[in-house]
Amino acid sequence: MNRWAIGLLILAFFSVIISVSTGDEVSFSEALSVLWHHLTFGYGTVPDPIADRIVWRLRLPRALLALIVGGGLGIIGAAMQALVRNPLAEPYILGISSGATAGASLFYLGFLPPLISKAVSMPVAAFAGGLCAILIVYSVAGGRGHLSVTRLLLAGVAVASLMGALSSFITLSSPEPDKLRSVLFWLLGSLHLATWSTLIWPSIAVLIGLISLLVLARPLDGMLTGDESAHSLGVQVESIKRILIILASLVTGSIVAASGAIGFVGLIVPHAVRSVTGVTHRRVLPASFIAGAVFLLWADLVARAILPGAQLPVGIVTALCGVPFFLILLRRSNYGFG
Amino acid sequence: MRQVYLLCLLFIGCSSNLPGERTVEDDLGRTVVLPPTIERITTLAPSVTELAFAAGAGSKIVGVSTFDDYPPAVDTLPRYDMLPTDFEAIVALDPELVLASEQVNSLKDIDIFSSVGIPVYFVAVNTLPDVTRAIRALGELLGTTEAATRRAIQLEDSLAQLSALTVSLSERPRTLFLIDDVTLYAFGQGSYIHDMIDLAGGHSITQTMTTRFPVLTDEFVLDARPEVIVGSFGLSYDATKLVSHHATWDIVPAVLSGRVYGLHPDPYLRPGPRLVSGAWALAKILHPDAVIDP
Repeated sequence: MNRWAIGLLILAFFSVIISVSTGDEVSFSEALSVLWHHLTFGYGTVPDPIADRIVWRLRLPRALLALIVGGGLGIIGAAMQALVRNPLAEPYILGISSGATAGASLFYLGFLPPLISKAVSMPVAAFAGGLCAILIVYSVAGGRGHLSVTRLLLAGVAVASLMGALSSFITLSSPEPDKLRSVLFWLLGSLHLATWSTLIWPSIAVLIGLISLLVLARPLDGMLTGDESAHSLGVQVESIKRILIILASLVTGSIVAASGAIGFVGLIVPHAVRSVTGVTHRRVLPASFIAGAVFLLWADLVARAILPGAQLPVGIVTALCGVPFFLILLRRSNYGFG
Repeated sequence: MRQVYLLCLLFIGCSSNLPGERTVEDDLGRTVVLPPTIERITTLAPSVTELAFAAGAGSKIVGVSTFDDYPPAVDTLPRYDMLPTDFEAIVALDPELVLASEQVNSLKDIDIFSSVGIPVYFVAVNTLPDVTRAIRALGELLGTTEAATRRAIQLEDSLAQLSALTVSLSERPRTLFLIDDVTLYAFGQGSYIHDMIDLAGGHSITQTMTTRFPVLTDEFVLDARPEVIVGSFGLSYDATKLVSHHATWDIVPAVLSGRVYGLHPDPYLRPGPRLVSGAWALAKILHPDAVIDP
């Protein structure tokens, strides 16, 4: 563990504490006593039931969802950038998010019947949509035996537009127009539906993503050098690409189902991280995970706090705070890529 | 006629009216130039359709949006899409005036209507008194002053009767009005809904929120402890659904005492004459013992 990793973890821990104790409704010390009560399995004074619900059942799952979603977007962004060897890549660029959004909107707006429960069928619809989008992109780009990065990017942008149009069509022709308001909020990316039970699927998917990518850290480094030299380094380039694409659909699908399409985290975070850690994936991946998690947590804190009692979709905040930061970074830093 | 009007705009400026034309100010403070009499109007939102009918000008409406469903007389009228505004269909109906709602219609629509010489009049209803003010204004505009005044007085009497029943009630339950049961859209500052709740003998807990349609956090509701939760979810709404979407609300007073109600959405989401019946329905929920039909 390097110094920066420990630093980021400490930052993440204190960010969670700040996040769950910020807000008009519960005082800082009250929030801490609720946390203490639960983390010590009932030690200390029994907290006020309202404060208990706010801190333990609303704010904490929401903070954890922010960590999971932000972390997931961070690592998938890093992996996508290695996959296409292009610093522009993120889950959005290959059409995965748009496909996942289209799939989830089909379900959300009543076109698809709920299979078992909403908690299960929405991630499944989103995963299917994302996978469907990436399979189209993949079959276009991988036509002649190997995957062409140029065609992958171009097809990704095209399919993203197609899926975006499909989502808009679904939204406007919904059989349940009363749900449009909710869908709009969710489409812009929001963590407001977080509960302990909605955390399960994204956590599993992101954990699978993180572990698999860490296992693949060395081949990913190789891929940055280009297909041929990666091959000569012994990297199974084509199968790694396939695995990356499936992982990206899985993680992005489950994230989109939980929180809608939150933009810019996957693009910005890996770049910010590389300017500190260098390009080695053994460092970039864990750092992107923690940095993405902390970034989204703070963005959500802003989204919650900016209007008293009310909230904004966090996707708006990530763009508003993230993009200027990214531009400054772009102007200042001068790291090599690949 | 219209071409001449356009030429006036282009070369002379808008100050010189043609003979018989009138200049009025709409609810947005815009100056609207109107022909001396108006026989053909179209409306861009259900709420203004209802206001025009209340003003006695229903027979002058030659087309309504596809969202319109009230009063029943609209069923036989030509329809046009409003998502987005189907300008061609509206222009084809040859209206002399288009009525728009400040709540739902875009100011950008004006440019297109004025480019074909059709004046647009915006109606804004942000308080309960605005309803009868708008009805009287439309009566004057459309030459149906007598009918409009009659209806306005009727509605004002009804409001006064309700007020007489509720004004002296000392117990005013803290009331939360929700527009959506999953994503918590509500009415913020400067909405007529707070007038309605106040008149119905309640206290609206979102009336000081700074945005017009805030999306509330669950914790705001937990902390504000509403004693009654009402929503435009329809009369057949199953109140247990609200707690299944917001599990932490099991200790909110309204939930504990079973005072969660779905309401017919139109009298609350359409700022028109039916707000009055909406206020009565709300009063019967808030004070079932004190409020009975007149």
